[in-house]
Amino acid sequence: MSEREKLLRKLSAVEFAAHELHVYLDTHPNDKSAGAAVRKYDEQCRKLQIEYQSKFGPLTPSEDGSRWAWIADPWPWNNEEG
Amino acid sequence: MFVYEKKLQYPVNIKQPNPKLAKLIISQYGGPDGELGASLRYLSQRYSVPYPEVKAVLTDIGVEELGHLEMIGTIVYQLTKNLSVEEIKAAGLDQYFVDHTTGIYPAAATGVPYSAASMQVKGDIIADIHEDLAAEQKARVTYDNILRMCDDPDVLDPIRFLREREIVHYQRFGEALRLVTDKLDSRNFYAFNPEFDK
Repeated sequence: MSEREKLLRKLSAVEFAAHELHVYLDTHPNDKSAGAAVRKYDEQCRKLQIEYQSKFGPLTPSEDGSRWAWIADPWPWNNEEG
Repeated sequence: MFVYEKKLQYPVNIKQPNPKLAKLIISQYGGPDGELGASLRYLSQRYSVPYPEVKAVLTDIGVEELGHLEMIGTIVYQLTKNLSVEEIKAAGLDQYFVDHTTGIYPAAATGVPYSAASMQVKGDIIADIHEDLAAEQKARVTYDNILRMCDDPDVLDPIRFLREREIVHYQRFGEALRLVTDKLDSRNFYAFNPEFDK
């Protein structure tokens, strides 16, 4: 597995944890421990997004950087072989 | 407003093409219980809902379903990459090929194109959430049926993830239904439609 893929998996795991808690909180808005956990995962997620984007290019179209970095492969449906 | 993230919700990295399996899995792209229908159903039902928690659930799950649509498109794309015409014929993918080559087209496994006739927006939150609960179970069954037909671990892994999401969404919709019924007349839930009657 490439370095890019490893970091992407780490980011996806944290992002997923945050998302899962976020949807849970839609129906349990008063759950304080879930609220604290989602803030923790959101913070980790932000750090990993910054690290990923500095190394491998933008995740969202609003990121600064070269125009080509957004356009460039791989797109999410391209596997490692391209 | 939507912002695209240039990543999948869960990784898909299939090394071995399998056009026969692609012909089945495409049903979750454009079939009656697929991810396109799921997304369109929830994102359309949410407008006339008067309860904020339910608006949030329909929006967040509807958006996640778009991410699942992208995962299914990726699975079908990777399963049909670098095929020869002989392999396409042998797998029975030739009928699909003549219309779509190896592009990803929203259709059911039977070849029927995606139809909004497979979903409903009733404008009554009790009816709509019951449809959503059923939709999650039907999608779960489709994933169970795909898992019966598949032995490639690269495909099994993301399909199992998607199957689990159906179960979690079913749970969230169950909680949404509870929130809705708590706000209605407990002697007669159907005394009025909160999306229409004032």
